Amino acid sequence: MGRGGRQDLTLSQQLLFLRANPTIAGEGTVRANKLTWWMPIQPTALARTYQACVTYSPGETPSVQIIEPNLELMANGRALPHVYRSPLRLCLYLPGAGEWKATKRLDETIVPWTYLWLYYFEDWLGTDDWKGGGLHPGEEPEAPQNRALRRSVAGRRV
Amino acid sequence: MNQVLRKVLTDGDIRRRSEIFSILDEIGEDLDLTETQFERARQSYGAVGDWLSGSTDPLLVSVLVYLQGSSALGTAVKPIGHREFDVDLICFCAGIASGISPADLKEAVGNRLKEHATYARIIEEKKRCWRLNYQGDFHLDLSPTISNRFCANGGELVPDRTLQQWHPTNPRAYKALFDRRAALKPRFVRTVFASEQRDSAKVEPFPIRETVKGILRRIVQLLKRHRDVFYENNTDDIVPISVIITTLAMQAYEYCVHRHVFQDEMDVLVEVIRMMPHFIERPIIDGRRGYAVPNETTNGENFADNWNKDPRRAPAFYNWHAQALLDFEAIRDAVGQDRLSLNMERSFGSGVTGRVFGSRVGAVSDGRKAGLLSVAPIIGLTTSKAAATTTVPANTFFGDQ
Repeated sequence: MGRGGRQDLTLSQQLLFLRANPTIAGEGTVRANKLTWWMPIQPTALARTYQACVTYSPGETPSVQIIEPNLELMANGRALPHVYRSPLRLCLYLPGAGEWKATKRLDETIVPWTYLWLYYFEDWLGTDDWKGGGLHPGEEPEAPQNRALRRSVAGRRV
Repeated sequence: MNQVLRKVLTDGDIRRRSEIFSILDEIGEDLDLTETQFERARQSYGAVGDWLSGSTDPLLVSVLVYLQGSSALGTAVKPIGHREFDVDLICFCAGIASGISPADLKEAVGNRLKEHATYARIIEEKKRCWRLNYQGDFHLDLSPTISNRFCANGGELVPDRTLQQWHPTNPRAYKALFDRRAALKPRFVRTVFASEQRDSAKVEPFPIRETVKGILRRIVQLLKRHRDVFYENNTDDIVPISVIITTLAMQAYEYCVHRHVFQDEMDVLVEVIRMMPHFIERPIIDGRRGYAVPNETTNGENFADNWNKDPRRAPAFYNWHAQALLDFEAIRDAVGQDRLSLNMERSFGSGVTGRVFGSRVGAVSDGRKAGLLSVAPIIGLTTSKAAATTTVPANTFFGDQ
């Protein structure tokens, strides 16, 4: 049960929403209590087409991996911004800040954020400047009045 | 009617190439004189014209000052580095016979300019003209001309480099010819999107401005900029001159527009560049095969005259042209915004490329902050309202490092 009384969405519901969303291509399965969704993503007409794979199990955080092309090869030795490693996944939202929670639809959060990440990624490849904003662990949120963000980041400081 | 056989473009190619052309358009706009600069130059040369007309010198009784060159044609390009725009003016002294020496007429114009307290401070003598160095971002180059009675096309005569002889020229007819060709509209094959994509194809990813300039002016601007970057560190006086690039481009444009049906604007751009060298003539001059890019609007002016005096000049053109063709093809075919921006940096410089891409990324980020950014089927991220889109909700990118 999420806060505010809304129910967590089941994996089958998430799969239905992903399939029904006309802006999203791809196909997926729910097996052994795990949702897997493969989709091609082309952030803009100028961008490459990426093969992304979203996996999600109840109680865990959704994970987005780019199957191809290989992001690290494209970065050519530079450290990718805003990723988790082992395995390489995109860091699309601030954990614990309510941007993502299990009551929300993957097709309306994780998927559009993946478009956005890949958009800023291609710009970063060319400019070395990540213009998508965001935080890394230990950094103070830009808006100090946002207590949820601050609490969440502070809790993650090593 | 030829339709050159090329590979069939996918819907994705069509959208990609249309975006690429609109970025090139933005690069051209960035490199152009701004409205304010143009207006200041216009006021300045109007004042110079009035001052020259007020002279009591009989040589200057009937003076017409008008714009020529790239600022008249709408093909001006910001110089690399901190240099100022050249604004070229003709000071046409009508009613003077060709008996007068070029040096005398130039001196009469210079004397009159020096009578003006302001012009006296900013005037600088050049080989064939007078330069007025305005504070800020442009200077005016003023070349005296007289009427060419042997030109049936209303041409004029301008001093040659040595100020010994008169040399045929016809800036007004040249501009009229350029404007007429620039107004020609290329024909495009009707783009048929697959039926299930038709609705989404109407969605523009980001609002696109109609090209005000027309394709020919942009082609000339982009080529001149490419030339400036290609020869940026070259100190030899062999760099292809703008009037040759402009003349060959307008001839190739007219030829292509009459004969081809194009896939899109990028197709026009590349085909016009490809055709340019075909309009270089190879007449026998003094028993040798020489080069000619004749001024079509008057007799006796060969823009490529210097190619026949310095053997390095023709290769300097052909080498640059071959690289320009390769670079524009690479820009047309680039997949990935990073590859496109790197190609454009190589062709036009990192400053202008950074400004244009930076403002596009800025527009996406602004749309994101305002909650106006969404994902539309097939086209991806968009700030325009469409029926079936998924809004991109607020998020904070996070990470390990």
